[in-house]
Amino acid sequence: MKPAPTTLRAAAFAAVSLLVCALGVWLLFGRGASPLQTDLLAMLPATERNALAEDAVERLARASGDRMILLVANKDDDAAKDAARELGEALGKDKVFAHVLAELPPFDMEQLVNPFLPYRFHLLTNEDRAALAAPGYDPVETLKRRLNEPFGANVGPKLGDDPFGWLQHWLDRQPWNRSTLVPEDDLLTAHRNDGSYVLVVATLDGSSYDDGVQRRALGALDKAEHEVIAKHPGTHVLRTGAIFYAAAARAGAERDTHVVGIASTVGIAILLLFVFRSMRPLLIAFLSTALGVIGATVATILVFGQLHLLTLVFGAALLGEAVDYSIQYLCARANAGPAWEPMRGVRQVRPALLLALATSLLGYALLALVPFPALRQMAVFAIAGMAVACASVFWLLPALLRNPGNAPLAAPFVRVALAWQRVASGRRSFVVIGVLVLIAIPGWIKLGHDDDIHLLISPPATLEAQTNQIRDIAGFGGGSQFWLVEGDSPEAVLEHEEALTDRLQKEGIAWTGVTGMLPSRKRQAGNLTAVRDALCRNTPGQLGACGELDRAQARSYMIAAGFRAEAADAYAAAFPGNAFTLDDWKRIPAYMPFQYLWMDKGSIVVPQGDVDVERMRAAAHGLPGVSVIDKPASISTLFGEYRGFASLWLGAAMLLVAAAFAWRYGLRGAWRVLLPPLAGIVFSVAALGYLNQPLTLFHLMALMLVLGVGANYAVFLREGEPHSAHTPGAAYAGVLLSAVTALLSFGLLALSTMPALQHFGLTLLLGIGFTALLAPVSAPAPVNSNA
Amino acid sequence: MRRLIALLALLCCTTLAYAQTAPAAAPTLVDDVLTHLAKHQRVRAEFTQRRENPDLAEPQVSTGDLLFVIGKGMMWHTRAPYEDTLVLTGGDTRRLNAQGKLERVRDGNRGVSQVSGMLQGLLAGKTDEAARQFTITAEGSVDNWTLHFVPKQARVARVLAGITLKGDAFLESIDVNLASGERTAISFANTREAGALSPVEASALGAE
Repeated sequence: MKPAPTTLRAAAFAAVSLLVCALGVWLLFGRGASPLQTDLLAMLPATERNALAEDAVERLARASGDRMILLVANKDDDAAKDAARELGEALGKDKVFAHVLAELPPFDMEQLVNPFLPYRFHLLTNEDRAALAAPGYDPVETLKRRLNEPFGANVGPKLGDDPFGWLQHWLDRQPWNRSTLVPEDDLLTAHRNDGSYVLVVATLDGSSYDDGVQRRALGALDKAEHEVIAKHPGTHVLRTGAIFYAAAARAGAERDTHVVGIASTVGIAILLLFVFRSMRPLLIAFLSTALGVIGATVATILVFGQLHLLTLVFGAALLGEAVDYSIQYLCARANAGPAWEPMRGVRQVRPALLLALATSLLGYALLALVPFPALRQMAVFAIAGMAVACASVFWLLPALLRNPGNAPLAAPFVRVALAWQRVASGRRSFVVIGVLVLIAIPGWIKLGHDDDIHLLISPPATLEAQTNQIRDIAGFGGGSQFWLVEGDSPEAVLEHEEALTDRLQKEGIAWTGVTGMLPSRKRQAGNLTAVRDALCRNTPGQLGACGELDRAQARSYMIAAGFRAEAADAYAAAFPGNAFTLDDWKRIPAYMPFQYLWMDKGSIVVPQGDVDVERMRAAAHGLPGVSVIDKPASISTLFGEYRGFASLWLGAAMLLVAAAFAWRYGLRGAWRVLLPPLAGIVFSVAALGYLNQPLTLFHLMALMLVLGVGANYAVFLREGEPHSAHTPGAAYAGVLLSAVTALLSFGLLALSTMPALQHFGLTLLLGIGFTALLAPVSAPAPVNSNA
Repeated sequence: MRRLIALLALLCCTTLAYAQTAPAAAPTLVDDVLTHLAKHQRVRAEFTQRRENPDLAEPQVSTGDLLFVIGKGMMWHTRAPYEDTLVLTGGDTRRLNAQGKLERVRDGNRGVSQVSGMLQGLLAGKTDEAARQFTITAEGSVDNWTLHFVPKQARVARVLAGITLKGDAFLESIDVNLASGERTAISFANTREAGALSPVEASALGAE
């Protein structure tokens, strides 16, 4: 035995492959957190014009981020409460939760009042400020009315601390007083006609998108929920939170990966067994493909640090393109018969493979230029995968396929291929293509387009329904449409926001924003002035000198209305108190949950309830520093832009491919080789039109692949034909084999649950189908050498 | 929290099929009293409200009259020390102005508007709310009774000491004691069937 260079190279390649495999295993499983990314937001491109807006979108999406928000419902109030308590307790035992809130910690009402006392003269509702400024405001009359309100007893600030009720009114507008959930039996509860709903919030000890955290937390919840429902029949638990969305996305993608991966593997296996009539080629083809996929996974994780779900699904389909290279080599071996010599085989397929690889890489490299994280990952994945699969054919396979194949390609398959090739390569076929182009025109005319975000993100309807129900009952849940307020300084941001929120109040649009809790310095100064003026106004001749006087006036009004002198003294002494500052706001624990609304250079104002985005725009119209952020619309616009970009790209790529072909085949030859993929694209688009499928970005992405794969087929046929002159139809049989394997993998994406992938798959199904059938056009018809 | 006080409204003027929520035992005095009160669908009365608070030099006293219509709401007409008419329906408080028009009171005492909100709920049969919040005990007889409402929940009890209602065929008085020492006592006199409503009353309460 001579130690052939083939063997050495193969040994080296195998060694490197093993190292890469080991690296892949370590990357995937060896480190604590799984690199599999399930966050749908992460794969969306940045759409907003500035970083602040992107930050705002992110903050809002994460506001309910690493928490499970659960509402325990039961017709029977006690059962609902017991169930919630038990659920909270059960979840609290699991370490995957950092904190579970079901029963409220003890607190005093005073904690929601006393911290505000020093600022009470600076915090007024718009109504109180307007009332104070109105002519004829009578402080004594106001006090009298307040003291004699029906059922007068009031809870909140002590009467002497807030004789006019200004602070009380202010506090009534604070978020914790607006919630429909009220503390009852130490639980936050809402009552509806169909029963009681009790809130349980479980904060995760980790990220919602962390695979391990996700599984453990959902497992713990399912178990606890099951037990609670068994113990309290009729209970049901409504759930929302990023973790459920992430888990749903993961489950969908995993299902898709399994369906596409398993179905295509089995399909390809059966096909290869039938065509090569031997196990060995099958194993070889899978080995080459598997190396490609492993190399691709490792490269993607090394480049991006993670692997997105969408990439993984796409990767499962990519199997079908990677297997082409080994199929070409295996066909060459089958056709060579006993005269097989591995290195001559490599030399024979090398030009076709390299040309095919070059066109594919060119295509994917262009895809990598799109500023869309998910597409970039797919491009890197594809480039690495294709290159490795191709390299394995050159360097590893020759060593594994040293002996000649023991059987030529299955005769029936070759006969079918030859028959079609004869039909499709004649002159008549050009006429047929011409007619088909005419038929395609109405399809093109019918074609619409769709850039909706739901192509990418389509959470399960039941989860959406639960989220909406929780928003109805409990009043929370972040939206993706909001106002962004910007300014050079915190004060500017607050003033800009007040201009907006004053308008919203006038329009009757409910909102949550920082100025509802922290008025601007200017507004606070205005509040203080309004209080001063109202108290001084009825002092003839003293206008303008309202310094010490307002204290005395406040005191005298209170005494006139019936307050004790000591209470009046204390109130007057507290005047004017301090302005409420940003730091004060940040320090108050009850405001903690709302801190995400504040970004120093900007703030977020969220509409409450369903507010039409046009109405939101109208409300922001003409206000400095205020804009409406509508993430779904931004994404749709972006999809539209990319769709336009992708069409241009397709044209440019065609020119590049045409140039490459012209260089190798001359102008006349290039035209023939380019015709199949070109016609394939034209016909698939027309078919989409006839199927009433609006064109999306994802259809266009698929067309890019059709161009790449279609060009491969034409090249394989054109290059392979001279080498298989002794077995007519064998070259085309190889192409058909590639096409069917591609259909078995990419085409199966049409079964995906995600609309984007489904469109992708359907387009490939059509495009590859047409191209493969038209491929014979690229080479002259084989002469009939058989008898 | 303030809605607890709301409970009063319901009781001051009547109805409530309390029996639904009471333990399924023989009718108690509480049930009897409430059943009796519920017989009067529209009631008028004169009220005197007296409010005591540690910060007040002397109790505040107001007087006026009141109309209550089950299922609609109430008009609280203060005659002294000032003239004012509040209309409490559903969840809102409105003021009848000098021109006889209703204006929404935006910054009204939330407690007051919740009184009516809760009241409407209770009248619609959601009596369990009262039972959830209070331990209710009764003394005396159907002709001369006293009901005590003590908050069940510690958080509430720290603020609200208790509510006492007294009456005969009609409600005679409501006493609200806060833990802070504040006390509001409302007494009713000349309680009677309302008879026909004036056009202003009918339109304010949305009754025919």
